[in-house]
Amino acid sequence: MRRMTRVVGEGLGIALCLSALSCGGGSGKLAPPGPPPPPTGNNVVSVIVDEGPLPTTNATVNTLYTTITVCFPGSAVNCQTIDHIEVDTGSYGLRILAPVMNATLNLPVQLASSGNSLVECTQFVDGYSWGPVVLADVQIGGETAASLPIQSIGDPRFTTVPADCSGTGTAEDTVATFGANGILGIGPFELDCPVCETQVIAGTYYSCTSTTCTGTTASAASQVPNPVPKFAADNNGTIIQLPSVANAGAATLTGTLTFGIDTQSNNASGTETVLTVDDEAELTMVFNGTNWTQSFIDSGSNGIYFTDASISTCTTMGLTDFYCPGTNLTLPLTIQGANGVMTNNLTFLVGNAQTMLSNPAAANYGVFPLLAGTNPNPQSFDYGLAFFYSRRVATAIEGATTTAGTGPYVAF
Amino acid sequence: MSDRLVKLLNQLWLRASNKQRMPMLISRSHELKAGALCSVMLIAALSPGLALATLGEPEASVQSDVAQLQASFKATTPHTNFRVHEIQMPSGTALREYVSLDGNVFAVAWNGPYMPNLRQALGRYFDSYVAGAKLNHLDHNHLQILQPDLVVQARGHMRSFYGRAYLPLALPGGFNLGELQ
Repeated sequence: MRRMTRVVGEGLGIALCLSALSCGGGSGKLAPPGPPPPPTGNNVVSVIVDEGPLPTTNATVNTLYTTITVCFPGSAVNCQTIDHIEVDTGSYGLRILAPVMNATLNLPVQLASSGNSLVECTQFVDGYSWGPVVLADVQIGGETAASLPIQSIGDPRFTTVPADCSGTGTAEDTVATFGANGILGIGPFELDCPVCETQVIAGTYYSCTSTTCTGTTASAASQVPNPVPKFAADNNGTIIQLPSVANAGAATLTGTLTFGIDTQSNNASGTETVLTVDDEAELTMVFNGTNWTQSFIDSGSNGIYFTDASISTCTTMGLTDFYCPGTNLTLPLTIQGANGVMTNNLTFLVGNAQTMLSNPAAANYGVFPLLAGTNPNPQSFDYGLAFFYSRRVATAIEGATTTAGTGPYVAF
Repeated sequence: MSDRLVKLLNQLWLRASNKQRMPMLISRSHELKAGALCSVMLIAALSPGLALATLGEPEASVQSDVAQLQASFKATTPHTNFRVHEIQMPSGTALREYVSLDGNVFAVAWNGPYMPNLRQALGRYFDSYVAGAKLNHLDHNHLQILQPDLVVQARGHMRSFYGRAYLPLALPGGFNLGELQ
């Protein structure tokens, strides 16, 4: 069924290319055949790429969002539905900015082994988010997780940030600084800090009174986990599917997030390439004849980040780490899983960041598939959300078994 | 203000406040250029209390880093015009400190499952880093701060971080940034 659909999809792609008189950056090559029609079902939730929760003041690019519902544990009425929760395959755990939660929700705080409150310092590359672990009944589409530990970021009940947490960077405790109303971390692992189960790691979990905090271990059950394995069903992975988008971008792009792999008829594995990832959720990308061994596919990265000194970078202040080639470039890429499986002849497109962002028609665009920039890690190719455009990408959780293989893996 | 680029830059690096900051930074850079290394060494010499920090501090601060970070000293690798001290933190994250032959830390780099304490590693440059990072919200997985006196570049994702920070005005002659990783 899927094969039939793909053939039809390719035919449509050719027709569109002919009518537009250009395709694939002028190379004449076809874009990937594209995903099948969007699935429907109780395990499917809609996702959207748009300018984010604050489009006029803090517009985002290439950021994928969904909508979730949280309830006070056990309550069917003390609930709140929250949009613009970022969907991130590069992190673990559901985190919501406290200011967007109704005061009446008043989610109960998780306790540390000390009996005091368990508060987390969540580390991102560009900063940290501080806030207590709270419990909520979480509903995403038709899936539910009862009494799930989630993080309440920027929670007014805990305002004193320990020095070794704030020492990791800058605070991202507001919607404006965070770029979303929350984040849904659904990468291929279960926990954000497995070593914290047995070891106190500076800048991670803390046991806090109302005034002071000390570093603490946190059991797997008390940590903020990837919600997917906590669902009652469809809990072995996810599938993100997004349609194709014009090279110049689009205002929005709507797709689906499906829970489970091979658990229902709408999430069956097929003939996709299955690439396992290593214990850092990374794999190898082969680019320019080099093996980039710390590479990853990540819906939470908003560009394609890699280093190629032969591509011109932009000169505009603030864009100097993005690429600005004279014409759109079509570049070859091979991705190799930890299992040794390699993709066949992928290509990706790099556009001129300044040109695409300056395009008057793109003033309200949230989707820029050709946005690419440099990567200071010489061993890493970070293929962001653009990888998911025009693809159906499955992420299997560590230890999960599907008909296609055993997680952790990505398949497309 | 309908331009997407303007919107993006407003969000990122060029907010109104930053527009005022930039000329300030540039003029500060002229002063620094006149005697960057001298002033760095002078401040360090006059303020031994600052030696807790590392970037821009004398080599001895590497030892205090080991103590402050409850880390273990792993290795020193000599090169022609610099040497690298590597510190291993209990979290599994490695911090490398690049020392010029005149004995000053001109760069630090880190990689591992958790972020290092950058307040410790960046020392007096930490506040500048935080201020720069605030203007740099693009996604949660990459960061670049380009200032005349400080460059910070970081990438990665939860459970796997990579980054480097260096003082452009204090790099040893002929230093290749490719060696900073």
